[in-house]
Amino acid sequence: MKNHKIFGLGIFSVVSYMAIAVVVQAMQVSTVVASETERAGDIGRGAGLWSQNCARCHNMRDPKEFRDDLWKPIVTHMRIRAGLTGQDTRDILVFLQASN
Amino acid sequence: MKAIASRRRIFAVTILTVTALTIPAMVSADDITQLKSELETLKKQVNELKKLLITQQKTVASKAEVDSVKQEVREVAKRSGEWKIADSAVHLAGYGAVGYTDGENSDGAFNLVTFNPIFHYQYKDLFLLEAELELEVGEDGETEVALEYATIDWLINDYAVLVAGKFLSPLGQFRQNLHPTWINKFASAPPGFGHDQAAPLAEVGAQLRGGFPFMKQGRANYAVYVGNGPLIELDGDEIEAVETEGLASNADGELIWGGRFGILPVPMLEFGISAAFGDVGPEGEENLLRSYRTYGVDAAYQIGSEWDFRGEYISQRVGSNTTSAAPESATFRTWYVQGAYKFLPTKWELVARYGDYDSPHASQNQEQWGIGVNYLFASNAIAKIGFESNDGLRGETTDDDRFLLQLTYGF
Repeated sequence: MKNHKIFGLGIFSVVSYMAIAVVVQAMQVSTVVASETERAGDIGRGAGLWSQNCARCHNMRDPKEFRDDLWKPIVTHMRIRAGLTGQDTRDILVFLQASN
Repeated sequence: MKAIASRRRIFAVTILTVTALTIPAMVSADDITQLKSELETLKKQVNELKKLLITQQKTVASKAEVDSVKQEVREVAKRSGEWKIADSAVHLAGYGAVGYTDGENSDGAFNLVTFNPIFHYQYKDLFLLEAELELEVGEDGETEVALEYATIDWLINDYAVLVAGKFLSPLGQFRQNLHPTWINKFASAPPGFGHDQAAPLAEVGAQLRGGFPFMKQGRANYAVYVGNGPLIELDGDEIEAVETEGLASNADGELIWGGRFGILPVPMLEFGISAAFGDVGPEGEENLLRSYRTYGVDAAYQIGSEWDFRGEYISQRVGSNTTSAAPESATFRTWYVQGAYKFLPTKWELVARYGDYDSPHASQNQEQWGIGVNYLFASNAIAKIGFESNDGLRGETTDDDRFLLQLTYGF
């Protein structure tokens, strides 16, 4: 019982620390070099990320399934589900929009 | 001699006169013929030009018409590009399924009809409102409606999203990412991953989640949340169930904290650990607090486009309280492993799964082998046939082997 409690607190502490560290670091980065974190999507990189990440959970969906404007909220939804970065999302989005 | 010379002169003059009068008359006739011919040719050409002019007048647009078309083109071009500058985007997603089950000790029935619309509303790259409804036909024919999740997601920056509302539990992988019927490769959920079993379903609260690069080619993702926590149901002197559908109330006044950390050292290989803890007061005994702990590990690995392997372990434990009507602790734990293979380039897929669910109640325990064959009409339209070999308490439904048929479509 005691070991479980300590183990749980340990895991949570590690996850929390990493999450906070990432947020703080990201906020600093976005403040100092906003242009780098906000750069436009890259089709080539997006193709790789699309093939590597979508099939982690589900069958690959054809880029032709949706119009350009529909892919935007879909990819944002998948960013949250799959734990992608904003840059990953922009890369995948431009790839899908260029491939339909 | 003179007379002869005179006659010769008269003859010569006569010849010259006749010649002078005759030759001009002959040239003039040829010219007229030629001129007539040229005139006819010119008449034909003029008629052809007239016809051509009439045709051109009919087919060639006027300047006003050209200007009008140009204006229309400008308007269409503007409309077609509007989505690029629109602040809001709307999308309807979701999935549906119908299923037939034939159990070892029960009659076959079409026992699954579900429709899960998912709504996405995005404002710039700042907010996403997403919600999923579950509409299901119940055993009595009534339509059951449930709000699976509804959140407002604030995209803080490239590495963090704040999710607030009712969200799918981020503990483990199955509940948050794999349970939709068009994604789940088997026709049923693994044992222990259903309602009131070992895996938490949802939570009402706030969650911070995101991802970031890890080393050279790796990636990591995280989720940390705080929520109202589960409802602990008591039945007599024992804990009956841990309800984790997500409560918009907090009768015991205690919040639950939890999260998951996932890491992909290389693409297509992911390991995750999950944990949640806090105190809970069971229903009717809200002031008699006891501990609540959840631990989980999960892994997934894909090889090429053919192979998919995954597994997950999760455990929920409610601690003891000697002053409670149900003083003993209770642990609900389950795990499963699954492998699937696509016979590319055909549309057939084979899936095998093993799972084992342990509950404090013997009637709920279940060990299960499952094997299934899927036919993918498309990546999101799938027909499944599966067989479950179940081992539970004799006489309970958990012990019944089952055949399952399912048709599912994700959109």
